[in-house]
Amino acid sequence: MNAHANRVLVLTAALFAAIALYAAEPSGTEIMQAVYDRPQGKDVQGNLTMTLVDSKGKERVRSLRQVTGTFASGEKKLMVFLSPADVRGTSFMNWSYDEAGRSDDQWIYLPALKRVKRISSEGRGDSFMGSDFTYDDLGDRHPSEDEHRVTGSESIAGEDCWIVESVPRDPKDLYSRTVTWVSKKTMVGVKREYYDHRGALLKTLTISKLESISDVWVILKTEMRNVQKNTSTRIEFSEVKVNSGIPEDEFTERAMTRGL
Amino acid sequence: MKPFYKWASRRPVAVFLVVLALVAASGILIRSRMRMETDLDEYMPRDHPAFVFSDEAEERFLIRDAILVAVEHPESIFNPDTLEKLILIEEALAGFDEIEESDIRSLHTAENILGTEDGLDVRDFYTDAPQDQAACDRIRDDVRANEMVRGRLVSSDERTALVLVDLADGEFSRDLYDKILALAEQFEGPETIHVAGRPIVEGTMAILGPKDMARMGPLVILVIAATLFIVLRSLLRTLISLSVVLVSTVWTFGLMVLLGIPVYTVTIMIPVMLIAIGVAYAIHIYNQIDYFTREHPGSTREEIAENAIDVIWNPVLFAGLTTMAGFVSLTTSQVYPVKYFGLFAAFGVLAALLLSMLLVPAGIVLFGAGTPRVKPARSGSAAAGSGGFGARFADAVLKRPKTVLGISLLVIVLAIFGITRVWINTSFLDNFERDSDIVRTDAFMNARFGGTSTLNVILEARDADAFKDPGLLRLMLEIQESVETRDKVGDSVSIADYLARMNKVMHEDREEFDTVPESREMTAQYLLLYEMSGDPENLWKVVDNEYRSANMIVQLKSDDSRTITNVVSFLDGYADRLAEHGVTARYAGSGYKSLVFSGLILQGQISSLGLSVLIVFLLVSLMFRSLLLGLVGTIPVVISIAVNFGSMGLLNLPLTTSTALISSIAVGIGVDYAIHFIERYRERMKEGHAAPEAGRFAMGLTGRAVFLNAAIVIAGFLVLLFSVFPPNRQVGALVSLNMVTAFAGTVTIMFLVLRNFHTSIKEKNK
Repeated sequence: MNAHANRVLVLTAALFAAIALYAAEPSGTEIMQAVYDRPQGKDVQGNLTMTLVDSKGKERVRSLRQVTGTFASGEKKLMVFLSPADVRGTSFMNWSYDEAGRSDDQWIYLPALKRVKRISSEGRGDSFMGSDFTYDDLGDRHPSEDEHRVTGSESIAGEDCWIVESVPRDPKDLYSRTVTWVSKKTMVGVKREYYDHRGALLKTLTISKLESISDVWVILKTEMRNVQKNTSTRIEFSEVKVNSGIPEDEFTERAMTRGL
Repeated sequence: MKPFYKWASRRPVAVFLVVLALVAASGILIRSRMRMETDLDEYMPRDHPAFVFSDEAEERFLIRDAILVAVEHPESIFNPDTLEKLILIEEALAGFDEIEESDIRSLHTAENILGTEDGLDVRDFYTDAPQDQAACDRIRDDVRANEMVRGRLVSSDERTALVLVDLADGEFSRDLYDKILALAEQFEGPETIHVAGRPIVEGTMAILGPKDMARMGPLVILVIAATLFIVLRSLLRTLISLSVVLVSTVWTFGLMVLLGIPVYTVTIMIPVMLIAIGVAYAIHIYNQIDYFTREHPGSTREEIAENAIDVIWNPVLFAGLTTMAGFVSLTTSQVYPVKYFGLFAAFGVLAALLLSMLLVPAGIVLFGAGTPRVKPARSGSAAAGSGGFGARFADAVLKRPKTVLGISLLVIVLAIFGITRVWINTSFLDNFERDSDIVRTDAFMNARFGGTSTLNVILEARDADAFKDPGLLRLMLEIQESVETRDKVGDSVSIADYLARMNKVMHEDREEFDTVPESREMTAQYLLLYEMSGDPENLWKVVDNEYRSANMIVQLKSDDSRTITNVVSFLDGYADRLAEHGVTARYAGSGYKSLVFSGLILQGQISSLGLSVLIVFLLVSLMFRSLLLGLVGTIPVVISIAVNFGSMGLLNLPLTTSTALISSIAVGIGVDYAIHFIERYRERMKEGHAAPEAGRFAMGLTGRAVFLNAAIVIAGFLVLLFSVFPPNRQVGALVSLNMVTAFAGTVTIMFLVLRNFHTSIKEKNK
């Protein structure tokens, strides 16, 4: 056997080994399902600091107290602004339902108006408080909404990740596709890229601090960067408590007016 | 230089070859590397404070010039097909590379925020095309109830809907223009599709102007050639005179390309200048040649050529120098295209001057003088100068000094009156025929919507959050209400409108709350709510995210300078009241920039005219070594300038960048005529003739040349009066007018003054 043939043989063997390894890996759908099924905790509360950075690098900071609980009907969330001072006490409540097709209920309380107002909004693609996040980006997206495919593995900040490409089944979805780096250890998506309808990269989400609190992986620092507009939003979560037994009646219109 | 020309005239073939080689080289350069600059922003002086401010504000508030696509249905747009068509048009537009989906606004993309009993309803007017008429009627009712959309995205008569496309700077191109027009055509029927907006008007103008010039230009040259032939009665002379003009133009453009300077719209005025000025040099040389051959029959070709060089070089040199000085003084302008225009027009004049001195003698030596078949008796040359028309004219002028003076004064008084009525216009739309599609579309849009032109009033406060103050917001609403009552002001939008709408919505849509919120906190909370549930991108077009500055958008139904200036001065009246809130108002946007820009051009042009009159005076004084003759020489120039601007005022022709530059011709032509005339007159006196005879002689010889020159150029430029593009018609009319006044001024009032003063000098010297 000459050297050339030898090299071909070695390469072929390597190729087969790679395919075998690949076959042993979970499928994209399995990975995203595992991410979705990761324990979230029955309730989570903490202080959220949101820093909006505009294209000139100017920063605006808002802080709010956020409480989230999971109940029989679905997830309930209450957010109360702490700063800036002129919006202190403004609160926002969202009930989302497990029931398929049922849209969220939302309320807003403006202290200056002293009244709770119900907001009916159909736009899940709306920006979350004028940030680079949409409501959709922040929520858990059900894996069945997309087709998933593992495109490779990569190490991010020392953590082994699968790279999963997800293409929405609905062509009218906000994005044409997303690519998620899922940590093999924690099953948390640590980085995600969002592509627009022209196939160009629109936004990049990175998670820079993750902590296990009461056996639940909680994202403490995350950043969304819009590469087309050159803006970004950083969210920091602090004083986080998980499973402290928050009752469902903490999520009412009355609770909204009470503030914190 | 004279020895050089004489040396060259003995090598005519070489002269022609060198000139041709340089023409070929320039031609190759022009063909391969010439670049048109169509982006108007490139014309503006970047570091001028008004532009720096406007550019920064445009960036801050995403101020863009919008293309308006209007869909007009004969009855109502609220039917399934038309509403679907809006979606299809948006999709087609978003498919263009230059346009982002987020740049498109329409009823379809708009959000309807409604106040209900228990809260707030934020939803699209519609997402997918409605299936039945009932759905369309619901959309119609929503639009009727929403003052942010009614009259803005849908006309009040509900027959027209708008699709607005905000174009980023530099995104507009001929290609996009064609694509949008094709798209409009594709979607016609039963709806009519109209396309308007500043980029379209600018684009049409950038395409139509040069296209029309390219069509009319050759006609102008053809007519000039024909007239030259009639006047010179020699094909060779016609060709040589014409090639002086054409070659100098080609050389000038070649040099421009070589130096990497792009072609601007005003550059088109360079050939205009060179045609008007360049023909004169050759005519004066031929004039001398004819005179010499008549006086000295049997001279050799070389003798004729050398005599022409000897006699004509001095006046032609000074005529050229003064004309060049006039153009070079334009380099004091702050506007680069004008600087370049001055510099290259000066180079072109220099080239025309050199070419005349090279080609005419070379032609004589090579092909002979080709003395025209002129009956000597009829020409004004007769040495005694008694029989010619020129001589009779000279006598007539001198016999009626009071009439000449009176008419001149009357003309000047009228001109000055006219000058006071001159107005500057930066309107793009006024460049089109009143019944042209573009003007009619604009009128249509203005009748149905707030206005196709925009003035951005940028309000700036010292402190952040200033625009949450109810007092300031109320003042803004008050300013908007009063500015909207002004003539040609349609609509206005500011952060105060958004807040008033929010306030109404948050109070169950009750009319009495359609005003700004009562407290700073409420404003802040509404704004937060808007950011959370509305479309914050819209917000950042009217206020910055620190609430330190705001953009009040005032829509105008005309883009002419009077309208913008009126609104600006009206708004300036609120300066004190704004100052009470620590707020200053400045302006931004393309309409305002155009206004400032043309102000700069005119300012530069006026000061350069002043400078060139001074230079003309000094150069002429130097040439004739007499300050008095220097003053006499400026007479035709000053009269031409006065009549030029005066006529514009009287005929209601606005000053624009091109019409302003034409006044440079007044300097170039006026001084040429004066120098040639004075030179002839003085030479004749030096030869020992009496003043009356010298006057007749100069009138007969130079007066004739000047007359022919004016006639030739006027004949050519009158062709432009048949142009379909009004600005080109104005160029034709004004160039002709300047030729007439420069000619008339030279042979009447200047001649009169020359005779009187020069005689008195002579007598004093004795």
